[in-house]
Amino acid sequence: MSDSVIVASHLSKVVHSSEAKLTILNDVNLSIDRGSSVAIVGASGSGKSTLLSLLAGLDLPSAGDVQLAGHSLAALNEDQRAALRAEQVGFVFQSFQLLASLTAQENVMLPLELHGRRDAAERARVLLSRVGLAERTTHYPRQLSGGEQQRVAIARAFASDPSILFADEPTGNLDAATGQRITELLFELNREQGTTLVMVTHDARLAERCQRALHIEAGRLVEPA
Amino acid sequence: MSRGASTWTLGTRLLARDWRAGELKVLLVALVIAVLVSTAISFFTNRLERGMTSRAAEFLGADLVVSSRTELPDEYLQHARNSGMLYSEVVEFSSVIASQSDMQLSSVKAVSESYPLRGEVRIADSPFAEERVAITTPPRGSVWAEGRLLNVLDVAPTDTVEIGLSQLQVGAVLTHEPDRAGDFYSLTPRVLMNLADLPETGIIQPGSRVRYRLLLAGTEEQQQRFVDWIRPRLESNQRLTSVADDNRQIGSALGRASQFLGLASIAAVVLAGVAVALSANRFASRHFDTSALLRCLGASRQHVLSLFLVQLGCLGLLATLLGLVLGWGMQAGLVWLLGDLLPPDMPPPGIKPLLVGAGTGLIALAGFALPPLMRLGRVAPLRVLRRDLAPLPSSGWLIYGLALAALALLMWQFTGNLELTLAVVLGGAVAVLILGALAWALLRLAGQRLRNAGLAWRLGTGQLLKQPVTAAGQILSFGLIIMSMVVIVLLRTELLDSWQTQLPDDTPNHFALNILPSEAPAFRAKLDEIGAVAAPLYPVTPGRLVEVNGQPVRALVTKDSQADRAINRDLSLTSAAELAADNEVIDGMWWDDTIPASAPLVSVEAELAAGLDIQTGDTLAFVIAGNRLQAQVASIRKVQWDNFTPNFYMIFSPGSLDHAPTTILTAFSLPSDNRDALRNLSRAFPAMTLLEVEAILDQIRDILAQVTLAVEYVLLFVLLAGFTVLFAGLQATLDDRLYEGALLRTLGAGRGLLRRANHMEFALLGALAGILAIASAELITWTLYRQVMDLQWQPHWLAWLLVPLGSALLISITGALGTRAVVNQSPMRLINQGGGA
Repeated sequence: MSDSVIVASHLSKVVHSSEAKLTILNDVNLSIDRGSSVAIVGASGSGKSTLLSLLAGLDLPSAGDVQLAGHSLAALNEDQRAALRAEQVGFVFQSFQLLASLTAQENVMLPLELHGRRDAAERARVLLSRVGLAERTTHYPRQLSGGEQQRVAIARAFASDPSILFADEPTGNLDAATGQRITELLFELNREQGTTLVMVTHDARLAERCQRALHIEAGRLVEPA
Repeated sequence: MSRGASTWTLGTRLLARDWRAGELKVLLVALVIAVLVSTAISFFTNRLERGMTSRAAEFLGADLVVSSRTELPDEYLQHARNSGMLYSEVVEFSSVIASQSDMQLSSVKAVSESYPLRGEVRIADSPFAEERVAITTPPRGSVWAEGRLLNVLDVAPTDTVEIGLSQLQVGAVLTHEPDRAGDFYSLTPRVLMNLADLPETGIIQPGSRVRYRLLLAGTEEQQQRFVDWIRPRLESNQRLTSVADDNRQIGSALGRASQFLGLASIAAVVLAGVAVALSANRFASRHFDTSALLRCLGASRQHVLSLFLVQLGCLGLLATLLGLVLGWGMQAGLVWLLGDLLPPDMPPPGIKPLLVGAGTGLIALAGFALPPLMRLGRVAPLRVLRRDLAPLPSSGWLIYGLALAALALLMWQFTGNLELTLAVVLGGAVAVLILGALAWALLRLAGQRLRNAGLAWRLGTGQLLKQPVTAAGQILSFGLIIMSMVVIVLLRTELLDSWQTQLPDDTPNHFALNILPSEAPAFRAKLDEIGAVAAPLYPVTPGRLVEVNGQPVRALVTKDSQADRAINRDLSLTSAAELAADNEVIDGMWWDDTIPASAPLVSVEAELAAGLDIQTGDTLAFVIAGNRLQAQVASIRKVQWDNFTPNFYMIFSPGSLDHAPTTILTAFSLPSDNRDALRNLSRAFPAMTLLEVEAILDQIRDILAQVTLAVEYVLLFVLLAGFTVLFAGLQATLDDRLYEGALLRTLGAGRGLLRRANHMEFALLGALAGILAIASAELITWTLYRQVMDLQWQPHWLAWLLVPLGSALLISITGALGTRAVVNQSPMRLINQGGGA
């Protein structure tokens, strides 16, 4: 499909433990349209986080390939994949992944600074106020609640205007009400920025908000792409 | 913005943010301590050594001496003058000095103005009168002579004596010359005269036996430049002497002291290195998440690594600057505090210690902090999803090999002793490998033994056994730290003891020479009467070694060697039936009573024997009073030159020297304030030469006291560094402990249990580290004593008990202090921190 921003073909991931080999993903094929929102759902250990890491180029498959924004990840080396991520991809994690030694604003500035952007501080403040944390810019992660930390993480994810946003259980560490607010924020920003959203979750309500849900069971895609 | 500039900006920004968040304190402190300790030790020892060297220069009368049997070229003096050095000319010869009633062969020293350049000449108005420091040289037309000469010639001050063609007036009684210290055995009375009077005496003729000396003094740079300039110009009969190679007594004390200080510096560098490695490791592991996130956000491996290198570089520079300033301040404070005990003319600190300090910091940084930091470049971006993904450890052999080489280089620079450095570095590397394996085995053993112990024990050992390799590394680090401290403490004790035994309270402070053999019994009786403790009486005759196995000795020696000096003058030859207590036969046999006088045997001093390649069984030929004497070498002896008792290069079997003209030589100890007894002795034996070495002894004792002081303070530095490193090491393990402590508290563990578990863990860690430390310290001291410092080694049994106990106690106390937070903080908060943001 010409407007697919992510295409996975015959994707497999096998790990070898000391006793046996373990197939985590088995011949997964899928394609995701630009601007769409997709949930990857499945039980714990079904392989959904592994699929996300392969789609985002954080890890390499044992077999198969991923086309990310028109680039074959198998043809890129680690640094080229990093450059592609810098250009196209944003992340939101279950455990927020904020750097403890940086303030909220500095955490948001980080991807901008990596791009050498001079307006990093200014843009970080705009984003933080967009996620409702205008008053908390100088606070450290440990001084913020879980929901606030995740909002900082969302501001950081959108800071470099990514075309694709990967989210790994973004509400997994939050209570229901906070999770709800974070979900709203995520979808709002996704809409505003026209981003493609790929989200791993086992929250059925969150999955329903997405245009499409891919079910994984024991490493296989149950609903065809 | 270019990539370089953005890396720099972002790197420094990240550094500033880490700094603000308190992430860098431990690494910075470790680096600062590395630089501080090595700077302070280097400064202090450098200044002290230079101060002591300048005191030792008094024994030479100068900093440098050029000497020759022929007149020295004018060029030397011109060059010294042009380079702004102080100089003085000395011409020495033997001549008969006559008065109206008698004549006597004497050693005459003609000196130019400004003699001596270092130390002082002391004179008295009449024999046995109170002596005073001479502020000039003998004025023209006058001489200063030893009391003994005045006695023989029956003259008094203001009378005239004849030297060659000149009549010179006796101006004063010569009681002390600084540059006579090493020359106890010259047998003739000594006279000092003005060099300007020398030509008129007409004594110096072509072929006269004369020794010319040019004394020089100046700053260290001037000395070094002069040495560099003159070395290539020296002819085979000219010799350059500096303080270091002149005086055996001072030389060996100074030598050992500077070896010790060098070793202490090595210990400090090793400690600092361990501290830097530990804290860099902690820094690195606390930044795995940062690295993973940066990679995830699209930074290349290279970029991430350069960001951390920028941080490390800035941190290194900052730490180096801080360390240098603090190190300088510390030694300045120490010099100020110890003012009275240090040499009065401590030279100002030079630039070299600063370079050494900075070098230490940067090398410690590169060698010890780089390997852990390199791991940051290898963090997989996937870690953002899977936190258990730690990067592979450095493929470390090469990089640690480089660190080891850098360390060796640094140590070499500190000690100036390649042998010592290699012994320590290679021995250390092997020891680390063996000890690491041993630590791991001990740990396994402890684990098995403690399997059924109480909960606190199991929790404590569980910490260690969970990751045996990491724990073995930890035990090894602590073991190394404690070992460094133990080695320095043991060495210090041994050194102080050896100095104490080198110069015990009854060290002879007088030498008596030129006693007639017929007077020997009376002399012995007189010594007993005045309560002097005397060495044996040795019959002495001057003689020259001329051949070894029929080969002329001149052909066998190299210039400037010990042998060269020994054969270039008459040796004092003696014969003895018994081997002196402080001599040790290292080859061949000492003779028994059955040796016939007709087949003379000789025992040769070991260094001289080595210099001339003399073996037992060789035949040596001597010329004694014009007669030739052949003797077979029966033994090679090691001689303790630095203990102020009479010692000889050549000792013959009893009866061998019966036909030669001998006089008696001995040394005895008498309280120096007992001048009446000395006067009595001199009056009773007027031909005897009495040399007081009390002043030299005092000076050596002073120097030893100062070195001892330096040794004590350097020990303090090392211990200080050691404790800090211990603390840093514990801090490095704090993150894990905080997390697990919190977890246990959440599960309902009381603070008491946590505290006990911590104590047990640290006590076990400490005891194991202590066992490793004492075992390796014994190995190292054994090697050092025997191979390098020439000391007797004995096992330190008490230390085998005390070190592991002390180490267990020390580490559990330090550990308890360092990990108070584990026990005291709220579990919820700890989980938030320990589990990541």
